[in-house]
Amino acid sequence: MNEQQTVTIAEIEEESELAADFIEELLDIADLDGDLEIEISERRAIISVSAEEDVLIDLSKTDAVTALQEIVRLVVQNKTGRYSRLVLDIGGSRKKREGELARLVERAVERLDAGASFAELPPMSSYERKIIHSLVAERGYSSESKGEGAQRRTIIRPA
Amino acid sequence: MTKLVAAVEHIVKGIVQHPDDVQVAARSSARGQVLDVTVNPKDLGRVIGRSGKTAKAIRTVIDSLATDESVRVNIVDVDS
Repeated sequence: MNEQQTVTIAEIEEESELAADFIEELLDIADLDGDLEIEISERRAIISVSAEEDVLIDLSKTDAVTALQEIVRLVVQNKTGRYSRLVLDIGGSRKKREGELARLVERAVERLDAGASFAELPPMSSYERKIIHSLVAERGYSSESKGEGAQRRTIIRPA
Repeated sequence: MTKLVAAVEHIVKGIVQHPDDVQVAARSSARGQVLDVTVNPKDLGRVIGRSGKTAKAIRTVIDSLATDESVRVNIVDVDS
């Protein structure tokens, strides 16, 4: 269960197929009409579920997406015996969340510009922290993660 | 409610090592609908997860699917 373990593209493809089958059946059971798209980016499977109109409105809330992503990872791990880092996007939830992360960075940078020596963000997953690190670097500031497990969070400092 | 029973069953069966032992039953309680989930005792830890993380994730997903009803997912501890 080591996150740094290297996975092959074939393994990631297998993961995404298993995940897509599971999600498709769940949507079917729940009477939700959604289209699935599989993408592989930076050695992660990204499964996107989209729908016309607002049928996914409840499932696309951040808490629900995080919870379903957690479940889908467990289902995939149960079948492959390997740790899964797959990412789930429901009704554009990833874009929406990236927008929220960008606003968090924006506010942190404002605090630093006002004289704070550092700004601390709330605990986040490794995927979200990676997005934060690159947003911070784009703004010309430096960042590091601190804390363990579910408490791991990003600290932003002037470069 | 049958829809939610099937959804819980699909999720739990995907997580456990003994899917044939998974049972989900709906019942009414004073505080609304309850879905009792029974699994093989060996799978109890998998369904609950570290500090209850998996059980919480299952409840969150079911809540988001239960649009116009309130439902509680109860994982039955077979040893008690």
